[in-house]
Amino acid sequence: MRWLAAFVALAAAAFFLGDYHNDVYRKMLLWVMLALGYNFLFGICGQIAFSHFAFYGIGAYSAVILLFQLNVPLPLAILLGVAVCVVVALAVAIPSTRLEGFYLALATLALAQLFVVVLNEGGAVTGGTGGIANYRLPPIFGFQLRGPWYTAVIVFVLLMTLWILIKLDRSWFGRACRAVRDNPEAAAAMGIDVARTKVIAFTVTSALAGVAGMTYAFVDNTVNPPIFGLDNAFLLLFMVIVGGSGRHAGAAIGAVLLFLLPFWLSPLVGHHHVLVFGVLMLAAILLQPKGLIGLWDRYSR
Amino acid sequence: MGPILEVRGLSKRFGGLTAVAGLDFEVRPGEILGMIGPNGAGKSTTFNLIAGTYAADGGEVTFGGEPLLGLAPHAIAARGVMRTFQHNRPFAGMSVIENVMVGAHTRFKTGLISVLTGNAAREEAEERKKAESLIEFVGLQGLRDADVTTLSFGQGRLLEIARALAGEPRLVLLDEPAAGLTPDELERIASVIRGIAARGIAVLLIEHDMHFLLPLAHRVVVLNFGAKIADGEPAAVRADPAVMDAYLGSHAAAR
Repeated sequence: MRWLAAFVALAAAAFFLGDYHNDVYRKMLLWVMLALGYNFLFGICGQIAFSHFAFYGIGAYSAVILLFQLNVPLPLAILLGVAVCVVVALAVAIPSTRLEGFYLALATLALAQLFVVVLNEGGAVTGGTGGIANYRLPPIFGFQLRGPWYTAVIVFVLLMTLWILIKLDRSWFGRACRAVRDNPEAAAAMGIDVARTKVIAFTVTSALAGVAGMTYAFVDNTVNPPIFGLDNAFLLLFMVIVGGSGRHAGAAIGAVLLFLLPFWLSPLVGHHHVLVFGVLMLAAILLQPKGLIGLWDRYSR
Repeated sequence: MGPILEVRGLSKRFGGLTAVAGLDFEVRPGEILGMIGPNGAGKSTTFNLIAGTYAADGGEVTFGGEPLLGLAPHAIAARGVMRTFQHNRPFAGMSVIENVMVGAHTRFKTGLISVLTGNAAREEAEERKKAESLIEFVGLQGLRDADVTTLSFGQGRLLEIARALAGEPRLVLLDEPAAGLTPDELERIASVIRGIAARGIAVLLIEHDMHFLLPLAHRVVVLNFGAKIADGEPAAVRADPAVMDAYLGSHAAAR
């Protein structure tokens, strides 16, 4: 019931927005979706990875290539897109989580770089540096979803993502992830397969990033390499840390704030808003490691 | 009843140093076996070999008829060997009851798909109830939802024990459970350990504090330089000249 209310409220908002603000709203929802998934991996499972945004791109490109280069029907394209993300995630995570330390961070950094190279060099399949454009979402049950109606689809996918993450978090799996984050050796002594837990957390969150990417593919109706570069991978990390890592609400607040901040700051400081981000990030780490949600906790008591 | 844990010829070398040299002993269900010896006698190494943290260089460890050596720590825990750590290692981002429920990890039968479809709710509720009764068993009721970082050292030690019991082990390994505790806490923890054995669980504990161990243990194994020099009832071990010489004598003289 609460989920339905949230869906109605968030989707209805889109109908009151003009084209420009609808576009901003959709992108904000997508950032929240990404931050929620990344928070599960980084904040709850304690794993540092830089591939979350690359999986967003893998999802987007997979959907577009499957639908318009290979003419796969939409439901099958969605399933195959998720499958591609799962296979790539397993291929990266299985070897790199067997080792302690920074191997997952390094492997995912390499993946994120490699992905952009593949996009640029992909020829006709990926459209090279120009990417792929001029496609439209196929009709769903005969309806051409557009404008605020497509925003409602994004809201649905966002709430589905949140629902999955909350269910996982409140189960034995969520506790295992937190145990792995807090003390891997004690987690193993409790019977938790540490490497397997990391692999599952990484694969599930990467697949969710892929789904977000598929949704994104029909927001701008174009996919191209510069969108999926590394800067956005770091921005995600900032969002989670500033908002409050380990908490769904924290990740959502961080995503909304850091996404909207440049819109307010740009008229004042131009492109130097990145500097403001850096200061915010340092302030969060030094003064408030629990992020904005931690501040909220303190003052609401 | 036959032994639940059998250790035969267990050996471990670190470079040129032999930490454990052909050790033999066994533990029976419901028995409290104390393991003592001077620093460097190989007690902690033996623990880590049984728990799978270190790989043995030789020997056999059989648990309930199954070989344990070569298994990863999580697989050994899943077979029913749970441990505590000498320095408390709580999961700092979780409450007391969540920490205890992590200990029950291997008992969860529902898969990830069931977690999403809601079929795991009943199991979750059952395990929560069991965790609550364990918290009561060690005497931490009232702190069930407390942040573990707010616990005292002694409460943290009791939490370690509750967490280990949550896996419904057949053997618990307690690494110096008395270290750093106040006299009141020592009494509490001794009665908890007796309660564990009374449930039919085998207890193997390393201990330095003789006044704590001798009245508590059913049997004592004494190590020196990685080898067993005595094995028997506390009173007999205490009177053993070899033990007096190697450990108790020097220990008593130092006091």
